[in-house]
Amino acid sequence: MTTRSKSYPGAGRGDILLWLVGAFLLYLLWESGFFTEAAWSDFNRRFYQNFVKDDRYMMLVDGLKSTIFMTAGATVIGVIVGLILSVIRVAHKGGLHIPVLNKLAETYITVLRGTPAMVQLLIWNFTIFASARDLNTQYIAILAFGLNSGAYVAEIFRGGIESIDPGQMEAARSLGLTYWSSMRHVILPQALRNVVPMLFNEFIALLKETSIAGYIGIDDLTRAGQNIQALTLEHSQPLVMVAIIYLVIVLLLTRFVRKLEQWLSRGRR
Amino acid sequence: MRKVFALMLVLTLCSCAFADGEKLKSPSQLKTERLAAQRGTVGQFIAEDLLGDKKAELLTTYEKYVDAVAALRQEKIRAVIMDEMPAKRFVNEIDGLAIMDEALTEESYAIGFKKGNAELVGQVNKILAEMKADGTLDAILKKYIDGDYSSIKPEDIDFNKGAEGGKLYVGTEAGFAPYELKVGSGFIGIDVEMCANIAKKLGKELVIINMNFDALPTAVSTGKVDMICAGITVTDERKENMDFSDNYVTGAKQVALVRADDYEK
Repeated sequence: MTTRSKSYPGAGRGDILLWLVGAFLLYLLWESGFFTEAAWSDFNRRFYQNFVKDDRYMMLVDGLKSTIFMTAGATVIGVIVGLILSVIRVAHKGGLHIPVLNKLAETYITVLRGTPAMVQLLIWNFTIFASARDLNTQYIAILAFGLNSGAYVAEIFRGGIESIDPGQMEAARSLGLTYWSSMRHVILPQALRNVVPMLFNEFIALLKETSIAGYIGIDDLTRAGQNIQALTLEHSQPLVMVAIIYLVIVLLLTRFVRKLEQWLSRGRR
Repeated sequence: MRKVFALMLVLTLCSCAFADGEKLKSPSQLKTERLAAQRGTVGQFIAEDLLGDKKAELLTTYEKYVDAVAALRQEKIRAVIMDEMPAKRFVNEIDGLAIMDEALTEESYAIGFKKGNAELVGQVNKILAEMKADGTLDAILKKYIDGDYSSIKPEDIDFNKGAEGGKLYVGTEAGFAPYELKVGSGFIGIDVEMCANIAKKLGKELVIINMNFDALPTAVSTGKVDMICAGITVTDERKENMDFSDNYVTGAKQVALVRADDYEK
């Protein structure tokens, strides 16, 4: 455990806090008699029922697969949509006259950021795709989450593009490049490098957001936990297990983003 | 700030009064108690009727039964209004729960359809009548209600895969044993087996769509599913928004699930 927590992002002060929280939780468990033999055997019995018996852990594994599939799909859509939207908005601001496209992009971002993802998901499934029954519901969820994420990613990209010194664009243009090729070959590669960590954070947020997919009948990780609850009538263990799985994945991803950030900033040192 | 403190004081006093109150004896006492129900179920409607004007304050609706029962065990509420069969399962599996002897109502279950889908309603009614006549339905009910259904596997149920007549989409909420339950990656239960029979006789493949109970009416009225079968009680209010088949279960009781130590027979 020590090695792992040392490499936990933001090691140092946060680490001590984590230990304190852990110690406090252990104390609470101790107080509530968790470490008595009877409680322990009861815990084991319930653990067996919830996860081991009839290979019930496979429900969580399948749920996790679905969660990751949806998150990955939605991220791809989100990045593509976000990139297009942000380039439109930046280009309009940068002197290209595309008011209609710009207005559309603005409206898109306003509407999708201004309404809850949950409501959007329900509308996609029950209103827009009401008659699409043979379509795997997961694809509807990917579309809903992806388009929603696109609106956020657009703002991330816009920030990234605007963080590049305007002099770069001026220099590229003065060398005879058109606006679009300066954008593509000069601005975007640099902007992308700046926003990659933020994109991964969006990916992590998306991973947690897909937990509402159960509302349209997808057995994602959260829903898999609820399905186990319904099987065993046990409330806490399946949920805590689901939380732990999310947390482990998020921590792994966060670590990966840290590494990626370091790797990306190599060239600038 | 003072208001917040006053509110907290009132809440503390309330909870003290709540803890010291006398034990429950009959459902009539529930009219002034904190109740819970699964959202969109008849249990919710009954609780609303019981509480009247106080429902906004005293009724909590949960998405799943397990949530409501957890709240009951944590003494956040005093009773869960729910169907008898799942309530019995909770009593059997979890120590310290009891069902009030006096049932609140008796209901019938039927399959729900999109309003105006007379063709499918007619076909299903005909099949239900056949299943009642030849004992298939009774056999299914007996298998789950009297027997131990924990050994039944989803693979044992014939979903008529690859049928030429297309697919029959059925919406359900698979947290309502013994009527429907998700096991592994498949489903078992009375409703599931009954729908499998119906699908077979229609020459279709059965596809079960598992969603939240309160999403079922939307799913059937928007055409997401052909029918919904989830131990759905026929009520006049629901009849306004969807069509029902003939009843396949009658005398299904709505009961109050309470803590055993809070109940005096």
